[in-house]
Amino acid sequence: MLSYILRRIVATLPVMAIVALFVFSLLYIAPGDPAVVIAGDQASPEDVERIRQSLGLNRPFLVQFGSWVWRILHGDLGTSIFTNLPVSAMIGQRLGPTLSLMIVTLLLTIVVAVPLGVVAAWKAGSLIDRVIMGFAVFGFSLPVFVVGYMLAYVFALELEWLPVQGYTPLAQGFWPWLENLILPAIALGCVYIALVARITRAAMLEVLQQDYVRTAKAKGLGQGGILFIHALKNAAVPIVTVIGIGIALLIGGAVVTESVFAIPGLGRLTIDAILRRDYPVIQGIVLLFSFVYVLVNLMIDVVYTLVDPRIRY
Amino acid sequence: MALLEVENLQTHFRTPSGVNRAVDGVSFHVNEGETLAIVGESGCGKSVTSMSLMRLIPEPPGRIAGSIRFAGRDLLQLSDREMRAIRGNDISMIFQEPMTSLNPVLTVGRQIRETLMIHQGLDKQKAEAHAIEMLTLVGIPEPKRRVREYPHQLSGGMRQRVMIAIALACNPKLLIADEPTTALDVTIQAQILKLMLDLKHRVGAAIILITHDLGVVAEIAERVMVMYAGRKVEEAPVAELFRSPRHPYTQGLLGAVPRLGSSLTGTARRLAEIPGQVPDLRKPITGCVFAGRCALATDLCRQYAPGLEEKGPRHVAACHYAAKGAIAA
Ligand SMILES: Nc1ncnc2c1ncn2[C@@H]1O[C@H](COP(=O)(O)OP(=O)(O)O)[C@@H](O)[C@H]1O
Ligand code: SF4
Ligand SMILES: [Mg+2]
Repeated sequence: MLSYILRRIVATLPVMAIVALFVFSLLYIAPGDPAVVIAGDQASPEDVERIRQSLGLNRPFLVQFGSWVWRILHGDLGTSIFTNLPVSAMIGQRLGPTLSLMIVTLLLTIVVAVPLGVVAAWKAGSLIDRVIMGFAVFGFSLPVFVVGYMLAYVFALELEWLPVQGYTPLAQGFWPWLENLILPAIALGCVYIALVARITRAAMLEVLQQDYVRTAKAKGLGQGGILFIHALKNAAVPIVTVIGIGIALLIGGAVVTESVFAIPGLGRLTIDAILRRDYPVIQGIVLLFSFVYVLVNLMIDVVYTLVDPRIRY
Repeated sequence: MALLEVENLQTHFRTPSGVNRAVDGVSFHVNEGETLAIVGESGCGKSVTSMSLMRLIPEPPGRIAGSIRFAGRDLLQLSDREMRAIRGNDISMIFQEPMTSLNPVLTVGRQIRETLMIHQGLDKQKAEAHAIEMLTLVGIPEPKRRVREYPHQLSGGMRQRVMIAIALACNPKLLIADEPTTALDVTIQAQILKLMLDLKHRVGAAIILITHDLGVVAEIAERVMVMYAGRKVEEAPVAELFRSPRHPYTQGLLGAVPRLGSSLTGTARRLAEIPGQVPDLRKPITGCVFAGRCALATDLCRQYAPGLEEKGPRHVAACHYAAKGAIAA
């Protein structure tokens, strides 16, 4: 197993390299001369030239790329053009809220969507099934910010059950931390829950037709054991896959959600960086998200081997 | 005393093209320790009958009516919870499809343990030990290693042995085996049948055996029930049925009577082919269900359905022209 994971990590290296190349090229793909862009509207030609020199923008592309990669490998993501702070420090500051939001959303999704999908498949064609799938379509078609503002209005402003916005670090207590994340997680999770519930239902529908489910019933197992052990474990591969793919959805949605709920996370940092054309920051964030995504894929592959013994590693 | 008494069993399926009367008014019984064989062509309702006994029919689209008295209780009146306590414990079942009947993502050991833990309240260690004993009983070599393996690591014959181990783990009073060898190679078939014959004497459970193999019927069963189009058309003790089949359908199936011991020597006889087709079970049938394919059919047959009548000692058949005591044509 360990050697499998190692081999998989090695296999992700080329992917990471391509991602890095792409991220680095961002600055060059973007319209305009990078040095002009960075220097801003008021800059004189001398200023632009100075920036060009100091950032090494006059060197050949591959040389620039090579030294950039070299610095990243040493943990140096560069310096923000706008704040002059190291990019890694800026990201580190904002990582907590975003990571918290994504983890809470992920857990919420698994806890809500998988049982809903299982029940919908078990009661396929019934009223319960149609209600659940109706909600799934609904959840899928509502934009994050609409759900977010609605939730904030009802549960925070009107009912005052939960805070309207903001973020409290986990270090200041579990409940204060969670309290601030509940509404954002629901808003962000809507699409994700809908997606995972639908896939769970589809995968379970197929599994429930299988002979071994009948065998489980013939052995005297209860409905819960049949559905959540014998059937769900067989349906796990597509479900795990979509949960993993969904993390990409979360990354995009987090940007919007953090704006709606004023969470000082990476999403806000991303928007600010884009508005200011703070390329080193943008590159750092994109690189981080890509890294997370590659990591998630690796985890999915490991989970596959855990749920299905027929998958070889 | 009858362990199982089935009275007017009707299992119907609601389908888009009408109600499929897969089992339509079947009555039979099985005594303690006795083996009843059910024979008949594909699609005549044997599997549906056996799955109805364990209430494994998906409802809907299925619906089971009639009564199924097992050890004095009507299974159709039991709650789901009471029924679960019976499945895998008092009545267990071996299915036709050994390749797909085991759960591919759970170990063999776990799949045997489960029934022991549910029904006998054994803890994991005791259940595991018992599972290894069961694997030994059904003739699986290296049982200690095999309990930790997954179904895909076993051959078809081995998997069917595991199914038998699961079915027998809790010492059921009734074992239902639905074509347990049909999907296997001929040589493996003989091995599994030998195992079943062996276990029949050791375990003492009553058995309902569904099979196409008349050699097996002759060897294992005491009585035979012949089904056609969802109904029982004949029933008799084995020797009696082979000696003097009364229903033209049974006669067609038998073609010739098998020699005893033939299945173990690999010369087993399968049911003979009968020309013509099984009637559509979604349409009401007037008259004899077999009339469309029967060489002896008359207007009487086509208008009036024959009832089951006594044709000899413990021998009934549903045919207007199978005269009592007469030697059939
Ligand atoms: N779930 C189901 N839905 C509809 N019809 C069914 C279902 N299961 C079985 N049947 C029908 O019941 C009839 C008897 O099938 P079966 O008992 O499997 O025959 P066999 O004697 O070969 O075991 C067939 O016509 C089959 O189509
Ligand atoms: S009743 Fe008539 S049609 Fe039916 S089996 Fe007997 S002879 Fe044939
Ligand atoms: Mg069958």
